Amino acid sequence: MNETANKPDKKILIILILTILILTICVISTISAFRKPESRYVLIIQNNQIIQEIRLDSAENQEFKILSADGGYNLIRIQNHEISISEADCPDQTCMKTGILRSENLPIVCLPHKLIIRFAEEGEFS
Amino acid sequence: MKIRKLTELAMLTALALIIFVIELHFPDIAIPGVKLGLANIITVYAVFVYKPSETAMLVACRVILGAIFTGNMSALLYSASGALLCLLGMLYLKRFLNLNYIWLCSILGGILHNTGQIASAMLVMQTTAVISYLPVLVLSGSIAGLFTGLCAQAVLKRFRKKEHL
Repeated sequence: MNETANKPDKKILIILILTILILTICVISTISAFRKPESRYVLIIQNNQIIQEIRLDSAENQEFKILSADGGYNLIRIQNHEISISEADCPDQTCMKTGILRSENLPIVCLPHKLIIRFAEEGEFS
Repeated sequence: MKIRKLTELAMLTALALIIFVIELHFPDIAIPGVKLGLANIITVYAVFVYKPSETAMLVACRVILGAIFTGNMSALLYSASGALLCLLGMLYLKRFLNLNYIWLCSILGGILHNTGQIASAMLVMQTTAVISYLPVLVLSGSIAGLFTGLCAQAVLKRFRKKEHL
């Protein structure tokens, strides 16, 4: 380990510059990721298939269950034209902690149940 | 493997698991995947002190036992792929960085950890929708990495000083 200490610092500098570059790109994309969505059209996707489309502006307050292949479930809540996952039996509960879907680029994700809730453009089908 | 070394590695694994379990009780942040990852202080320390194979054993034990302790086996895949990428990256970077730059190695380790997690999530979910979390997680990972790296650096330097006395 001591012989590396005497080597020139050029490589360290390159690594440092690369790191700063990566971080700068990430700061910019993070700022854009948190921007508010223009669309009010939400897709619920499971196993890469659209299982439900919701127009938040016309959606009534409701709660419904989505079952997953492994027997688990996610309880989806629509309240005051906002969508969130209110209950789930997955072990990490990350989808609930994400809270209300607000940002265009950051979907609500439930990894164990392969469920994604995200904003989309009207008429966009993947 | 000498018994002394085996004991040291077992102690470090236990220490990492204790830190890991304590961290489970920290309040959650709303963005999925954002975590301090304090147990990685031990990983970073091991990367600079032990052989790659020994460090890999330590990390593998930590990740598997951690998943068993939390009972969240479905997260094992994500933490394992993150830990693997992080470990490989740090072992490679270690060649260029001396002991004063452990923090830099750890920052990149944190970035790689979260990149690995997102990559495996993309593979499992068969979708690119989760990639939008990458920049957020890279930022949080680098901040966490800086912190764990500085901790490991402080620990290592103190141990070195004692050994030389």
